[in-house]
Amino acid sequence: MLGELLNPYHLQIASFIMINIILGISIYITLSSGQLSLGNAGFMGIGAYTSALLTIHFELPIFIGVILGALVAGIFGILIGIPALRLSGVYLAIATLGFGEVIRVIFVNWESVTQGAVGLSGVPHLGRELFKTVTAMGFEPEMLGLRNNQVVYLMVLTLLVVINILLIWFFIRQNKSRVGRAFAAIKMDEKAAESMGINITYYKVLSFTQGALLAGFAGALYAHVMAYISPADFAYHRAIEILIFSVFGGSEVIWGAIFGATFMTILPEALRVISEYRYMIYGVILILMMAFRPQGIIDVSLLKWIKNMIKSRRRTDHGTGTKKHN
Amino acid sequence: MRKIAKKSYLLISVLMLILLAACSGNGTVPASGDSSKNAGGPVSAKIGVISYLSGPGAAYGEAITNGFNLALDEINKKGDVKIELVIEDSAGKQEQALTVAQKLMSDDDIVGLLGPTLSTEMNVVGPEADLNGIPIMGTSTTAAGIPQIGDYVFRNSLPESLAIPAALEKAVAANDAKTVAILYGNDDLFTKSGYDTMKKEAENMGLDILTIETFQKGQSDYNAQLTKIKDLKPDLILASALYNEGAVIMDQARKMGIDVPFVGGNGFNSPQVIEIAGDASEGLIVATPWFGEKDEPKVQEFVKKYEEKYGAKPDQFAAQAYDALYIMEEGLKNAGEADRDALRDALAEIKDLDGVLGKFSFDKVGDVVMEPTVLIIKEGKFQLFE
Amino acid sequence: MLLEQLINGLTLGSIYAIVALGFTLVFGVLGIINMAHGEIFMIGAFIGVLVTSVLGLPLWIAFIAAIAVTALLGYMLERIALRPLRGKQGVSHLAPLISTIGVSILLENLSHHIFGAGNHPFRNSFAEIQIQIGSITIYIVQILIFVISIALMLILSYWLSKTKAGKALRATAENLETASLLGVNTKRTITTTVIIASALGGIAGILVGMAFNSVNPQMGLSMGLKGLAIIILGGMGNVKGAMAGGLLLGVAETMIVAYGDSGYRDAVAFITIIFVLLLRPQGLFGKNTSEAGR
Repeated sequence: MLGELLNPYHLQIASFIMINIILGISIYITLSSGQLSLGNAGFMGIGAYTSALLTIHFELPIFIGVILGALVAGIFGILIGIPALRLSGVYLAIATLGFGEVIRVIFVNWESVTQGAVGLSGVPHLGRELFKTVTAMGFEPEMLGLRNNQVVYLMVLTLLVVINILLIWFFIRQNKSRVGRAFAAIKMDEKAAESMGINITYYKVLSFTQGALLAGFAGALYAHVMAYISPADFAYHRAIEILIFSVFGGSEVIWGAIFGATFMTILPEALRVISEYRYMIYGVILILMMAFRPQGIIDVSLLKWIKNMIKSRRRTDHGTGTKKHN
Repeated sequence: MRKIAKKSYLLISVLMLILLAACSGNGTVPASGDSSKNAGGPVSAKIGVISYLSGPGAAYGEAITNGFNLALDEINKKGDVKIELVIEDSAGKQEQALTVAQKLMSDDDIVGLLGPTLSTEMNVVGPEADLNGIPIMGTSTTAAGIPQIGDYVFRNSLPESLAIPAALEKAVAANDAKTVAILYGNDDLFTKSGYDTMKKEAENMGLDILTIETFQKGQSDYNAQLTKIKDLKPDLILASALYNEGAVIMDQARKMGIDVPFVGGNGFNSPQVIEIAGDASEGLIVATPWFGEKDEPKVQEFVKKYEEKYGAKPDQFAAQAYDALYIMEEGLKNAGEADRDALRDALAEIKDLDGVLGKFSFDKVGDVVMEPTVLIIKEGKFQLFE
Repeated sequence: MLLEQLINGLTLGSIYAIVALGFTLVFGVLGIINMAHGEIFMIGAFIGVLVTSVLGLPLWIAFIAAIAVTALLGYMLERIALRPLRGKQGVSHLAPLISTIGVSILLENLSHHIFGAGNHPFRNSFAEIQIQIGSITIYIVQILIFVISIALMLILSYWLSKTKAGKALRATAENLETASLLGVNTKRTITTTVIIASALGGIAGILVGMAFNSVNPQMGLSMGLKGLAIIILGGMGNVKGAMAGGLLLGVAETMIVAYGDSGYRDAVAFITIIFVLLLRPQGLFGKNTSEAGR
């Protein structure tokens, strides 16, 4: 029964959705303090290469590799974030775009370490390693009536879902905390925020670094889910894709980035016909969204409205109380 | 405020509906038809194809699927084995190749996979197929290390490690070359991997490598690299480039007055080179598994049939795909049943199978054993290079 | 060899400069970085291929056709991607950037579908004429490109500083509202600017086709990013800076190949972007204002 329900194809797509959600959050979090970074593909690459190289050459466990990958990307985030404070708006976008490209050129040219364009194959696969561990512990997929690859991808997906829930929970908490309010204030008006005593330097670098860290984290996970990475995976087009998640879904609230990442990952899979025109559609989406709904599909008022909907439905469900109109 | 919210709600629900509708079309469980083993009669089997059918490299995928379809008609008409192809598009991207591979592999009726088109995709799909115990054969994946991925991974495409040395040896002998310059695209797996082979081979042959220059995708100005090469006066230029860039490089080189022969890899081998570079393409030496002018009835028949059906001359990708399906047929015939493991074992045994590319065998790891043909562009067309 | 490489560098640099002129014009007036400029340049090159190679018409018609088509594209860009965002409440200053990125991917992939991914040769007998000086070969095209780029720069500077339309344009650049109060038709001025900038891109496209005999859909992206680097190097909105920056980058890239590692050729532009922005955000030729970089 379970075996028929779990199609590795669907599990695979769901795993990509999870990774893309992390990428979506990574651009959302820098945007939430009013900074647009187009360098997230570069940070993603740093995370991916760091973790892949560490696990291949030093046989570190994957989870340590992933954490180190994220940390290294975060350190680069600080290194770029501090000097980038002098820049804002379009200038920052372009400087980070340049950074992403430089990173890619380095991956291509640093052949002794990165193997250049050939890429790194044989990166330990998250699912297969987990699978080895559990089978070593005496678990057999047949016990649940599952096939090997079903178990492998089920484990990957479960792990990613848990990670995502934790991340989303953390960032929602953060948004409601002093940090989140500081980000919002800076996004509204930097000078006003400064005069209110908010430490602009600290919070801007913090949000930039968080974005880099998350992108690196997603990159490291990507490396271990694909088991193969090459510099082309982290090029300009990836940066655009990440940007789309947030622009389409919504850049004001975290749910926007999550929705954008989910929708944009399913879309080409669901509509195979579209796949060929994928980037054309991306282009049209960017233009239309900017013209008609620059804040993205999901914004604060929509969220509020959904919340009210749910609330009012609950009230009527209980059959008590009358609907209040205001 | 209310109004905006309502509007966007509508928008979302419409989008979601589209998605749902599309999803349900996708999620249907494939009906297990007549692909079971019917003892006695011909083996009938489903084979999955992963091909690059949309995006910038769609032309490759198209030629490949054309080759498959042509062979499929003939095989099913012949009736020794009944094959059904399930073709999926990878768009040249690793993620997508992996997801469609999952889709194909989770269908128990599918006993073997053909493709994917690019070596980068194979690097991702290969290990997964190996883990799931389904034989997979690349028809256009020429980079080093592909068959080494696992026991279930094969290829019938001539790897660069066979093609380049063959071309280089003949070119060096004919031109009495001592010095070479190497030029390659360093941001592409295919050209980079070709370069690695070139460099190794040139070193083995004791050639003096004067300089190694690189270029990147989308570049249109190669004058700086070529001026440098011209100054060093090499006897040969080894260029690991796809035909697109390669043709432009030759054009700019000839304009500059560089007239030494070029030796190229597999990706440089295309009639398009002559179309793009015209006279400047004279003197390009490549090794190829496929030579359409070959004076052999089998080859000529294939060319004729292909032209009739698709209105274009088959290139090496179509020819390799055509042969690949015949290899699958042979494997299924020998296996005697539509079973993944039996097919793998039968494939590994294949020796001296006659195809349009010549006699074909797999070596121990599942790589190609065959004799490449060396060609040169002369008088505006590819000719045998003696 | 040095001399030959210098000629290579100047040829490349001149083309970069023309591309950058288009960038800088739009930025100077609208304060917008037009990410679609590279793709408009690419379309211009394809029009050149269509007219000369496919239709077999003379070169001057190709120039006119390319200018006309890219100007039209510029108009459409303004109407579809830029005007809807202008003066709207609550639209962030990043919106035009994102919207032009949208136009750029749309155009790139559209031409993929129409023309295919391959390189298209640009056949023209004019491109074959050469002069031999000692061991050095110079093509007339190379000289032509250099001359055209200098001429365009001079015409643009003159037009901006001396003519009425140019003054209106600068007034608009200074302050949109004040200019419109003073009777400048800002809508028309902005549209004109985008059209002229795009036409410059179209000219550059044809010149690339002639010089390098290679036109493909991907060339827009790399050229666009180079152009971006140049205006940052030369100072945003600065015509002479764009010219100098373009020549400088062209020569620098060529020299990196000639005397360094050709693998890092593309990195030159991007490293330039990062360093200039961080050390001297107003660019080499820009005026030092507190607003630079903000």
